[in-house]
Amino acid sequence: MSKGSHRELKLLGNAAADFSRKELAPSREENDKYPYGAFFDTVINKAYTIDFFHIILPEDAGGMGQGMAALSVVLEHICQEDSSLGGIIFTCSAAHEIMKAAGSMDVLSQITDVAENVNDFLIAFPVFNNPSEIPHLACARKDGDRYILTGSIEYMVLGNIAAKALVPAKISDDNTFSFFLVDLKDKGISISDPILSLGLHACPATDISFQDVNGILIGEENKGKDYFNAMAEKFHVAAAAMSQGIMKGAFKEALAYTKGRFQGGRQIVNWSEMKMILANMAVKIKVSEMILASATVAVDENGNGWRECAKAAAIHIQELACDLTTDGIQVLGGVGYMKDFGQEKRFRDAKHIQAILGLAPLKKIDYLENFIM
Amino acid sequence: MLSRSEIKSFIERTPSFKNTMPSLQAIPKSPRWMIRETQEVIAIARKFNEEVVKPYVLTLDRKMHEDPDYLPWDFVKKANEWGLYTMWIPKLFGGRGYNMASMSVFVEEIGSVCLSMANLIGVHYLGVATLVASWNTRLIDRICRDVVKGEKTGEPCLITLAITEPGAGTDVEEMDLADKGNITCKAEKVPGGYKLNGTKIFISNGHVSVWHMTIAYENLDKPSDATIMVAVKTGMDGFSFGRMEHKMGQKGCPASELIFKDCFVPDDLVAVDTRQIDKLNRSKKDTMQQIIDYVVAATRAGVAGFATGAARGAFDAAIQFAAGTKVNGKLLINHEWAQCMLAEMYKNVSLARISYVETNYANNLFGMYKLLQLKPVYYFLKIVPHFLLDKIAPGFLNKPFMTWVFRKLQLDFQTDEDFHCTSGWGSLAKFSATDLGIKNCHMALEMMGQAGLRHDRYAEKFFRDAKLLQIYEGTNQLNRLNVFKCFMANDYPQAVVFEE
Repeated sequence: MSKGSHRELKLLGNAAADFSRKELAPSREENDKYPYGAFFDTVINKAYTIDFFHIILPEDAGGMGQGMAALSVVLEHICQEDSSLGGIIFTCSAAHEIMKAAGSMDVLSQITDVAENVNDFLIAFPVFNNPSEIPHLACARKDGDRYILTGSIEYMVLGNIAAKALVPAKISDDNTFSFFLVDLKDKGISISDPILSLGLHACPATDISFQDVNGILIGEENKGKDYFNAMAEKFHVAAAAMSQGIMKGAFKEALAYTKGRFQGGRQIVNWSEMKMILANMAVKIKVSEMILASATVAVDENGNGWRECAKAAAIHIQELACDLTTDGIQVLGGVGYMKDFGQEKRFRDAKHIQAILGLAPLKKIDYLENFIM
Repeated sequence: MLSRSEIKSFIERTPSFKNTMPSLQAIPKSPRWMIRETQEVIAIARKFNEEVVKPYVLTLDRKMHEDPDYLPWDFVKKANEWGLYTMWIPKLFGGRGYNMASMSVFVEEIGSVCLSMANLIGVHYLGVATLVASWNTRLIDRICRDVVKGEKTGEPCLITLAITEPGAGTDVEEMDLADKGNITCKAEKVPGGYKLNGTKIFISNGHVSVWHMTIAYENLDKPSDATIMVAVKTGMDGFSFGRMEHKMGQKGCPASELIFKDCFVPDDLVAVDTRQIDKLNRSKKDTMQQIIDYVVAATRAGVAGFATGAARGAFDAAIQFAAGTKVNGKLLINHEWAQCMLAEMYKNVSLARISYVETNYANNLFGMYKLLQLKPVYYFLKIVPHFLLDKIAPGFLNKPFMTWVFRKLQLDFQTDEDFHCTSGWGSLAKFSATDLGIKNCHMALEMMGQAGLRHDRYAEKFFRDAKLLQIYEGTNQLNRLNVFKCFMANDYPQAVVFEE
């Protein structure tokens, strides 16, 4: 399949929606108990076998070779029910994209070609930090042809389930950094327990420390910022798609609830203040759909100002999702706050996703500095 | 310049002086000792935070993640040891008798570290307030002295309010909605008492409490005219606990299901029923609404105190992060945008606090605290030794005459304008402060990014915990409608509320 015809995207969307409904929705509460409950290996394996992790991976590396529209449509449907899987797909795909941007397809293919299971295939990556903003970086030194890593990285997403990790590290004393691929089974690596976090419970993150660990340089030395930005510029739309999926899931559940719940002898959907809340939610979703559709097309077609579109879309849609999910709980009242319904998880997940790829306020300043000034 | 009558006429116009400036009216009437007493309350709260709450906050929340059915008896016993369950029980009823308004300040302090633990203390006083609002002095004395005894014996005796039902949340808080609501908790009059059947849900502190001030209805077809309030004790036949809700936040404070199956409640545990209020000036429906409003006008100020605490806790997490984290090469706290964001958060804390302080002034003037804040009463209760009061008070509080006097003073003598002022301010503070609390949690997480997502950095916990504040004690939407009802609807005779 080559990049996104409308029909292909629709098929992919249907597959993701079907998967989401059958595999994610029924066990959402149970899966969200991680790390105090079991990890949803079975679901991840199924997602792997139907290639949800291969969407943007080039065909010659065994992937589907699709663009951001395809990734976005899948993430949106997945996140309607459970964003944790969305977070895993996003993280691994972002790592792939950085390696692609760095021209390290040979290294990537060595992983994807030989992977015997999903864990071998996954690449851990600290996707919630932009290393140029807050330098959570390991240290690397050159030893002959090799690079040796020491230090630590906070909040390495998938750190406890992936076989490999993509690690930002400093080689020199300036403000630059480089990316290295490390084997997480290396004896010099120590991995913390999964970090108890706000949302995306089943998309685990860990703190990792390195003691003389071999690392494979990805791309060139000190070009980490360029590779990260190349990935982020595209992946903003994928993050926005996750937020949009959450919004749609929240609205669907809210609307259904208001039709079944009574107050003052009437369905609560018939009280005008409730209609106002629902209307505001619906408008946010429609606006988000329009913005995201334009942005993903712009990204995939390298349209005029596509970087600007993608970033603005992400900033705005992520904010909308945080507002909307608050209302999503409010519509359900007390039960919306309980684990039995999906709203409380969406509320947490929307806020969690807003932090993806760096600090939300800095994304705005960066937008102004890079695209307007 | 203007005659007295002209001034009176102008200040009564909307927005009336009475409704807009409770503080200015209340301060000259307030006992000076309240200042020192409130300072003492803040100091106690901060010491308790240092010694108990801070060392336990993450552990308790983690424990609840791991085992959502865990009951925080360890904390409740500790709070009991510190005397926190009797601090705001009036001295007349055996308690420590701190001024009621200072409780909001106290829960702000505890809430700025942990909202769950703040609730484990504060929600007990929702039960106390409900009991007190019945103005049934005999029962108030009996149950409050149980709490005092529990403190002495080391067996905590907490009180809850049991009002929310599976099919009715908002409907049970507004008598205008009750008759159309799906209300099911039935109280059947039987010889010697009532027989209760039904279920209550989301009852904060349920599983760790001894007394449950339960709202039930003699006639489910017209509950607004048939509402009763009874005290049910844990262990009574026909009463049991159901499930504990698994919540997003405030995990350490259990939200319980209470189940009543042919639960017999003797007459001496009836706090208020339709027979008792029959002779009061207002209709049964209006009297019950007045009682509910007495409670919520006070406790919504408490919720605003919790929310101020949440706003403050989120602010603290953000400023500490900003002070210690370099962003783009310099400390975040030195970025102008971050300084403005922090200033905005500080403003939110301050406005939230002002909202509950003003509400408490309204309650001092026209609401639940009025009698106890009168200078002679306040100083008398401060000065008279405990042992003397304990000897004298129960004797006369047990007389039906005293209940009659208190109900006359607190219910009949409270004007509609009085309870519109207190109820309106209670709602205004509740939705303003809780919205500001959530706003700060959002801002903290935005400022902290990845670090804010981690449990060990506190901000994510405040975010989860604070959301509940917009829901309980009446959703913020209900509270907005109540503000319209109390402060606007009277000026427009054509306006109707809850009847669209």
